[in-house]
Amino acid sequence: MTANFRSMPVIALLTIVSLPLVIMYVFTLVDTFTNTEPGSLVPNEFTTEHWRFLWSPDVGRGSVWVATVNTFIFASTTALIVTSISVTAAYALSRLDFPARRFFLSGIIILHAFPTITLIIAIFLILQWLGLFDTLIGVIIVKTALELPFGIWIMKGFYDTVPWEIEMAGVQDGASRFMVWHKLVLPQVQPGLAALLIFSFLSGWSEFLLPLVLAPGSDSQVLSTYLAYFLLDDSLEVDFNLFKSVGLFYAVPVILIYLVFQKKLMNIYGGGSKG
Amino acid sequence: MSRISKPRFNWLGLGFLAPAMIVVVLFFLAPVIMTAFFAFTNMSTSTGITGGDYLLSQSDLRSLANTKASAATLDALENAGYRVDDAGLARLAEAQGPATADEFRKLHEGDLFTSRRDMERALKDLRQHRIRSTRDRKLAAELFTSSVMDQRFDTEEAFRAALMTSGIEAADHDTLVDEAYTGWIWTTKNIELLASLSSSWRYAMNTAIYVSFTLAFNVGFGLFLAISTFYLSPRVAATFRTIWFLPRVLPPVLYVLMWYWLTWDTGIISTLAGYFGVAPRNWMLDTGTNAWVVVILINGFVGASLGMILFSSAIKAIPASMLHASEVDGANRWQQVRYIILPQLRWPILFTSSYQTLSLLTSFEYILLATDGGPGGTTEVWALAAYHTALNNYGGNLQYGLGAAYALVLVVIGIVTSLLYLRFFNFRELVSKPRIEQ
Repeated sequence: MTANFRSMPVIALLTIVSLPLVIMYVFTLVDTFTNTEPGSLVPNEFTTEHWRFLWSPDVGRGSVWVATVNTFIFASTTALIVTSISVTAAYALSRLDFPARRFFLSGIIILHAFPTITLIIAIFLILQWLGLFDTLIGVIIVKTALELPFGIWIMKGFYDTVPWEIEMAGVQDGASRFMVWHKLVLPQVQPGLAALLIFSFLSGWSEFLLPLVLAPGSDSQVLSTYLAYFLLDDSLEVDFNLFKSVGLFYAVPVILIYLVFQKKLMNIYGGGSKG
Repeated sequence: MSRISKPRFNWLGLGFLAPAMIVVVLFFLAPVIMTAFFAFTNMSTSTGITGGDYLLSQSDLRSLANTKASAATLDALENAGYRVDDAGLARLAEAQGPATADEFRKLHEGDLFTSRRDMERALKDLRQHRIRSTRDRKLAAELFTSSVMDQRFDTEEAFRAALMTSGIEAADHDTLVDEAYTGWIWTTKNIELLASLSSSWRYAMNTAIYVSFTLAFNVGFGLFLAISTFYLSPRVAATFRTIWFLPRVLPPVLYVLMWYWLTWDTGIISTLAGYFGVAPRNWMLDTGTNAWVVVILINGFVGASLGMILFSSAIKAIPASMLHASEVDGANRWQQVRYIILPQLRWPILFTSSYQTLSLLTSFEYILLATDGGPGGTTEVWALAAYHTALNNYGGNLQYGLGAAYALVLVVIGIVTSLLYLRFFNFRELVSKPRIEQ
């Protein structure tokens, strides 16, 4: 249908507006392995010194490896808990009848739309009361709770697409509803389960504000706060090549996961989670 | 069809929901309620978040002078005098030894001295166990002060008991108890402060600027991306979509770091401008206008991708026959967009706008990382002000109560807007009864 349209002007326009992003991406990659004379744009030597944060611990705040392990624990634990709780709750909301079902459903819709970040002050004080402030466990619990309504909502969407006939047949043959869910429905939503797991993992890996406020100490820091330390501490000398290397190190898992699971994730990103 | 008894379903449903319920109630609903609760307290770093104790300091005395406490009370507090009682003697025994205390008890038990000089003179009466140095005598005299000033009491009862023995008018006790309390109290001052502070109006204005411009950029640019890539060959379209989708996938901290490099004085814009003889400067922070442009672009480049995805799938859903027919009729590209595609996008546009309005209203992550509200508070939006007031400021005294009041405004807006969305969604369909139970 593009016969009477010329696409070159559109491509040219798109290229111009996309240029800032492309330049950012390219130089983030290039600058981590090269040095450039001040005032020039073309690199003049290859070096690995910008990756020194990997072996010398005094470059950033604390060890990058501790932060990496923390980030992995944080992201994988929240992803696992969110997915496993969502998988039953969403089935209940999608397919089961129980008292006050309407109330729970509307509750989950409201919570899904509700901007959770406004609660951070109250959560900060509650964690101090509970003695969970500045611990990884505290941030994990909070992230899980705030992510849950989204997870349940997404999971409910996947359950909604499973044909009723499958369940009807199971019930007809005398299986209990639990059996039907376990043996017949769960295999049907396997792709959704995987997508939610990956999405929650990425969301945990990228999370910045919760660790910043709720776990500010260097023992429980994650990679986002490790990287933010370079940006937000005014006393540090600005060394963009070093900062970018830390940033790239931090983002590599995200980019790999995204490239591999792109198709699966698109469903969920359509639901939107960032402004 | 065979029916299975209903109660079994009920329990399975609630059982399936239970774990989610527990987590959501504890760490989602509780914070909502607690935000309202904290907003009506004066909690801060100095009051702490648990209870406090009772302590009258010199500064309390000055502020008491402005209240209804009588002059006699103030005088009594300031010049309370010195009483030789059991408590004072016990303190003396601890400081100077029990023998000294015993001798002093025989000499002066129950006596009252109005000034410290008299008290010290009385201490000179000691014969067998003299306190030799003047400095020690001064310290010893202080042990007998009957003033409640500068003494820490753990409970209100202890403080009131001390007030009773000090001989201060009973009418003023309540005022003193309030003044001496170092913990947090209930108050409506935060709300009054919000309404009266000129800064809170400025934050509201900043928020309005931020939300409206970013939203316009998100929707407008999202539309542009969706429509322009629709007309391109799949491979080219996919390339551009990936470029624009990456900011959404990348961690926010890295994404903002890239903008630092783009805009700072050692960054690429300054370097490029340097070729034209422009002195390097921080394009992100040098003027208020620049700061706003950068903040809106940072958020807009991320936000546009949501519009791009939603609009793209809506355009794909338009029957191809409609587009073909229009081409046969000789419509040019602009007419096709204007009369066929845009009308079909009305609902996705409405959805994206309402969804992003709420999330922009309350988000401050990118602004915090980029300008931190600068320069000079130009880009300080409401949500960021709440964060700065309660969780992170240069002054060091974090005002949890006032910050919670800021947050409460957003929480209320959030709840009301979410309820409105509930009506927007086709609610009846969403909550339709499961078919097996019907």
